[in-house]
Amino acid sequence: MATAQAEVRAPFAGAYRIWVIALSGVMLIGIIAGIVVLANGLQVTGLSDRVPWGLWITVDLSAIALGAGAFTFSAIVYIFHIERFKPIARVAVFIGFIGYTSAMLALAMDIGRPDRFWHPLVYWNVHSVLWEITWCVVLYSTVLAVEFLPILLETSYFDRHPRIRQFGGWLHRLTPVMAIFGLALSLLHQSSLGATYGVLAGRAIWFKPSLPVMFILSAVAGGVSLTLLVTLLSTKLTGRSLISKELTRDIARVAGFAILAYMYLKLWDWAATSYYSHTPGAADTLARLQATTPYEQSFWWLEVILGGLVPAVIFLVGSLRRNDRALMLASGLVVFSIIVNRWNVTLSGLVAPPQWSPGVLGNVVAAEYFPSAIEFAVAAGVLAFALLALTLGVRYLPLYPRTTSEGGD
Amino acid sequence: MSEEKQTPLIGRRDALKIAGATGVAVVATELVTTGPLSAQAIEGIERGNHKEDGSSEHCWHMVIDLQTCIGCQYCVWTCQAVNDVPDDDMRWNVGFPEQTERGESFYMTRPCFHCHEASCVKVCPVGATWIREDGIVDMDYDRCIGCRYCEVACPYDVRRFNWGTSEEENVYQPTWGTAEIERRPRGVVEKCTFCSHRIDRGLAEDLVPGVDHAATPACVEACPVGARVFGDVNDPKSPVSIFLRDNDTFRLREDFGTEPRVHYMRPEAEA
Repeated sequence: MATAQAEVRAPFAGAYRIWVIALSGVMLIGIIAGIVVLANGLQVTGLSDRVPWGLWITVDLSAIALGAGAFTFSAIVYIFHIERFKPIARVAVFIGFIGYTSAMLALAMDIGRPDRFWHPLVYWNVHSVLWEITWCVVLYSTVLAVEFLPILLETSYFDRHPRIRQFGGWLHRLTPVMAIFGLALSLLHQSSLGATYGVLAGRAIWFKPSLPVMFILSAVAGGVSLTLLVTLLSTKLTGRSLISKELTRDIARVAGFAILAYMYLKLWDWAATSYYSHTPGAADTLARLQATTPYEQSFWWLEVILGGLVPAVIFLVGSLRRNDRALMLASGLVVFSIIVNRWNVTLSGLVAPPQWSPGVLGNVVAAEYFPSAIEFAVAAGVLAFALLALTLGVRYLPLYPRTTSEGGD
Repeated sequence: MSEEKQTPLIGRRDALKIAGATGVAVVATELVTTGPLSAQAIEGIERGNHKEDGSSEHCWHMVIDLQTCIGCQYCVWTCQAVNDVPDDDMRWNVGFPEQTERGESFYMTRPCFHCHEASCVKVCPVGATWIREDGIVDMDYDRCIGCRYCEVACPYDVRRFNWGTSEEENVYQPTWGTAEIERRPRGVVEKCTFCSHRIDRGLAEDLVPGVDHAATPACVEACPVGARVFGDVNDPKSPVSIFLRDNDTFRLREDFGTEPRVHYMRPEAEA
């Protein structure tokens, strides 16, 4: 075990140290910014009553979407018993755990009264999709913790605590049950995050039943892609073969088909809402977005072409799929496009609010948003936390079968 | 022997199990569907999901006559004084200069519309906002967690969030009135209440909201030209019922399906 770790540490030792120190530094900046937010309230953000959600909501939505690899692979392995994906399930759960933890950190900053974070659990409004999301996220984070804890307990530190490790083994036996809960909870809240916008009749650009489905499809694509990206990067940086070439290509195919499914729905969504129709609310909002923001360009170039079609081709064309660099590029593009999509969806409904005045001066249509330095600092801090957890996890935890100790399964 | 062999279809133990399971299911269903919310909030949130059945005693509506309005902003300032909103960016009752398609100037004002189908009510994750029996969309500042989903959901830009602690002096007091309700803390959303505190107190004193000044929303009371009319649409003799019957009014963005309780008179004399 010790020699194996030394072997892992050998290359990039200096770069690794700088990387960890840099991330810790950014995290510290994030913590300081967080304290500024707690001390002064949300007036330190660039948000306003017109645009009350912004960068941090994008962080929440992206982190949860990119954590979707956990439920996808847990379901594939433990419910559908496609055993060849088992070597990737652990790292997927770990990434999911980091994603949900990051989302909760950002959310704690974003609500006006963090001291009342427990209210949705006690005061229920079952009609609110946000209430349902809160419950699902809390429960699913528990599921992820139950799935993650046995991994932690397998580390050499717990060699001297056999009882605790036994508990870990017992927890591990719950994994198939947890996978079922995880699948149900994820199907609920991943789509409800889209429904958060999709059910709002007053904002025409959001109000469509396709939004929840697009959210869950893109989350599966993004979550699988991130799992692949982390694995390929770890392979490259540690110089060790973590999963087989065959599995790498199988994962790429899963990601490819998920993106195709997402793009298929996106095509018809665009066709129905923007091309074949000219309903006043949506057309007006789109026209204003086009005039004042890069929404249209980022939609086509970043979401559809670079984030959808290009990676789909790389993932699904055999010769490209055999090239690890191409796979890293493709999965990186998908991850990036998911973040762009969550930003675009959130901001598109807010920066071009519905015109409700009976006059023509349009005093109510102007809304602007640019995140403040504090918002960037908090978001960077959350990102640094996620990357640091990921780095340390890949280094010290038995996330891949070949780096597990002899006692592992 | 033969009797013992004959086991009943449902034994005593099974019956107990079934009863127990049913009990648990009932309690679980009850909890899942209502949760530990107050009865008032449950009823109020449910109300947002149904059309009014006319059974409530009062139903408050307002008319804003854009033809009569002279744009003096008294309603805006009085609202800020009475509801203690010192910050002009936080106005519950907003006003701004507007123009018709034919180029005629008019002054546009907007309180909360207290929609029948209030999107803000359905989305609140903690049930901190609900529709009262009399139609007023009310909220509980002690329960709000400040997630601002209601702001995102409202298409009329009605709701206001306390981005910071409001400690500044209210320059509209005492000229335009005195604070009648407590100032809201940092981190919660707030909104126009149709001055529900005045309505509730007035009704307790046998006053008629919309007629008696002390029981009428401050903005309506402050208007020097009577451009705002308020009252109970369940009472055919109320000022608002008479106005709605005699005039051709409209509501903003009917296509949203929100069914506002605030009606407007067109700014131009004849369309």
